[in-house]
Amino acid sequence: MPTEAPTRREAPAGRETVRRDMPWNVVVWNDPITLMSYVVLVFRRLFGYDETTATKLMLQVHQEGKAIVASQPREQAEVSVTRLHAFGLQATLARG
Amino acid sequence: MAWVRRRLNRVELRLDRREREILLRIVDELRPGLGDDPRTRLHAYDDPHLDEEYQRYSRPEVEQVRAADIDAVRAALSGSDDRFRLSEEEALTWVRALNHLRLVAGARLGIDDDGWEERSDASMLEREEYAMLVTLGWVQENVVAALGS
Repeated sequence: MPTEAPTRREAPAGRETVRRDMPWNVVVWNDPITLMSYVVLVFRRLFGYDETTATKLMLQVHQEGKAIVASQPREQAEVSVTRLHAFGLQATLARG
Repeated sequence: MAWVRRRLNRVELRLDRREREILLRIVDELRPGLGDDPRTRLHAYDDPHLDEEYQRYSRPEVEQVRAADIDAVRAALSGSDDRFRLSEEEALTWVRALNHLRLVAGARLGIDDDGWEERSDASMLEREEYAMLVTLGWVQENVVAALGS
């Protein structure tokens, strides 16, 4: 058992301690009205995904009821959800 | 006869007078329904406190964009031109507006499950909202296809 209180170890010089903003998941939910092709278009426009990735995510939404389409810091995730809402998609954000 | 095509960096859409009148009537009929159905009242968080904040600060912005999109489409349909040469942004405005309106039609039909197209019975097929859903869907699908080409 040490007799002295442990000293706080200083980080090595040059290495920063970065406080990371925990990611939030942007979740898109299925709805029976919105066209699949439209969903693919929205994913491509808002997130820059290629056709294959956007289609894969769309199919996951369609078949599983929802899909995580992005993981972002909270503020960015909320902007993404706002944009998805503006496109008429059902979207929420949840802690990652 | 309506058509949609991609020409250079524009989406060209042709709607004759009768087609424009029909679409205008659909817009005016469905627009008041925005926000009535939970699917058109969008929430962002499961946590009610966080969602309340979202509803206060972000939802008005969404509703503003939604209204502007529908206004733009309505204005275009109210004109006398048969042909519309849409920029990419204008075409996105159209497909957003059409989607919002389709959600209203779908809500009025009580559609809350996939596979409704196959299960549609005579009573649904006779509904005006069903024809609206299909009509708007045709335009939206074709503009989306043109945007992607």
